[in-house]
Amino acid sequence: MRTVPADPYPFEFDPAGTALLIIDMQRDFVEPGGFGETLGNDVSWLQAVVPPLQRVLATAREVGLTVIHTREGHVPDLSDCPPAKLNRGEPSLRIGEPGPKGRILVRGEYGHDIIDELAPLPGELVVDKPGKGSFHGTSLGAELAELGVTSLVVTGVTTEVCVHTTVREANDRGYECLVLSDCVGSYFPEFQRVGLEMISAQGGIFGWVAPSSAFLAALTLQEVPS
Amino acid sequence: MTATVQTRARIGPVAANPYPWPYDGSVDAARTALICIDWQVDFCGPGGYVDRMGYDIGLTRAGLPATARMLEHARATGMLVIHTREGHSPDLSDLPANKRWRSARIGAEIGSAGPAGRILVRGEPGWQIVPEVAPVPGEVLLDKPGKGAFYATNLDLVLRTNGITHLVLTGITTDVCVHTTMREANDRGYECLVLSDCTGATDPANHDAALHMVTMQGGVFGAVATSTAVIEGTTR
Repeated sequence: MRTVPADPYPFEFDPAGTALLIIDMQRDFVEPGGFGETLGNDVSWLQAVVPPLQRVLATAREVGLTVIHTREGHVPDLSDCPPAKLNRGEPSLRIGEPGPKGRILVRGEYGHDIIDELAPLPGELVVDKPGKGSFHGTSLGAELAELGVTSLVVTGVTTEVCVHTTVREANDRGYECLVLSDCVGSYFPEFQRVGLEMISAQGGIFGWVAPSSAFLAALTLQEVPS
Repeated sequence: MTATVQTRARIGPVAANPYPWPYDGSVDAARTALICIDWQVDFCGPGGYVDRMGYDIGLTRAGLPATARMLEHARATGMLVIHTREGHSPDLSDLPANKRWRSARIGAEIGSAGPAGRILVRGEPGWQIVPEVAPVPGEVLLDKPGKGAFYATNLDLVLRTNGITHLVLTGITTDVCVHTTMREANDRGYECLVLSDCTGATDPANHDAALHMVTMQGGVFGAVATSTAVIEGTTR
């Protein structure tokens, strides 16, 4: 077992039963000129996540940790997009409409794919999800059971939406979740702060929070036995 | 007395943030469910588990009067009323090890003897719904092992069987069980409205932040309104 100094108390994990989960680091959310920016968001807050997450991903690969990527998006005919999601509010760009990097949030489009800096390697699991949570409507739960994974190190965007929804789903399913504070990002600094606070509140009601440096120090003590 | 249920009531548009709710203009009350989340003695009753943890239960009780009023409105207009309770079976076979361990760390181990019976165990006094918003016969009671009301329960089946497409959420706590349930419902395509005066949290800042999060990005999980706005936004 490894131990990471974390909030609200140390997080213990066995690398053989742990996966690095990278949530929705998609061009449309993270890159300038993407869907997120067209909604008026400042993507620089999300871009700040990329360098530390690259370091975590590289180390995870070196030591043989399971790596899982997720992407939010819908099938091209939008048959898996609930009407409430499609039509709510008055978006300037609706899901499925042509955007700067292809059809918005549609699987297979350029903007829907993961940024080059964090591109999945062959053999890494990529989970396509229709919602904010990574468990609903996906095979993630079955895949984790098959892999024997019981702990998740959670990264990606955005902190208060897809990261939080996924951590809540995982927590109810009994997974232990460590959220890496510098590897998750929000368009809104205030939500980044309270989003992390809510994870570790009430004795860690949803899980643990630590900076990536603390996790990497624990992970690199020795290589994962194969 | 015989309650007069008006089956033709419609809800909406309701003055809400960030858009008049619902997204599709209005909805039959009969296609709308009022979900009352975890109004249990352990969370908001004197001598319950949250009380014992040293939190001010005035904060988790704050939404009770408005919720009681909203319940009357729901019953009178023919909304489906669903009450949820968080808890575990007496043998704790549905209690994840980490949830048990964390609860022990903060001095309120699930399953141990608490001030109102075994903490968060089904059937115990502390697990019951407080009298102010108690269910009446015919309403749905839903037991859940987690924070979300969809995971490992039949809620989705109950909603679909009853033709429900829209949800109005009350309960505690705003940032934990209410938010988790709203997120689950949103991913499943239900159009959600959370009531600011019918919710509460152990930390008022988390209550505010949780409601604010809902309103961002055009209503990423739905919308926020008061119970008064729902009542005023209902046409009978």
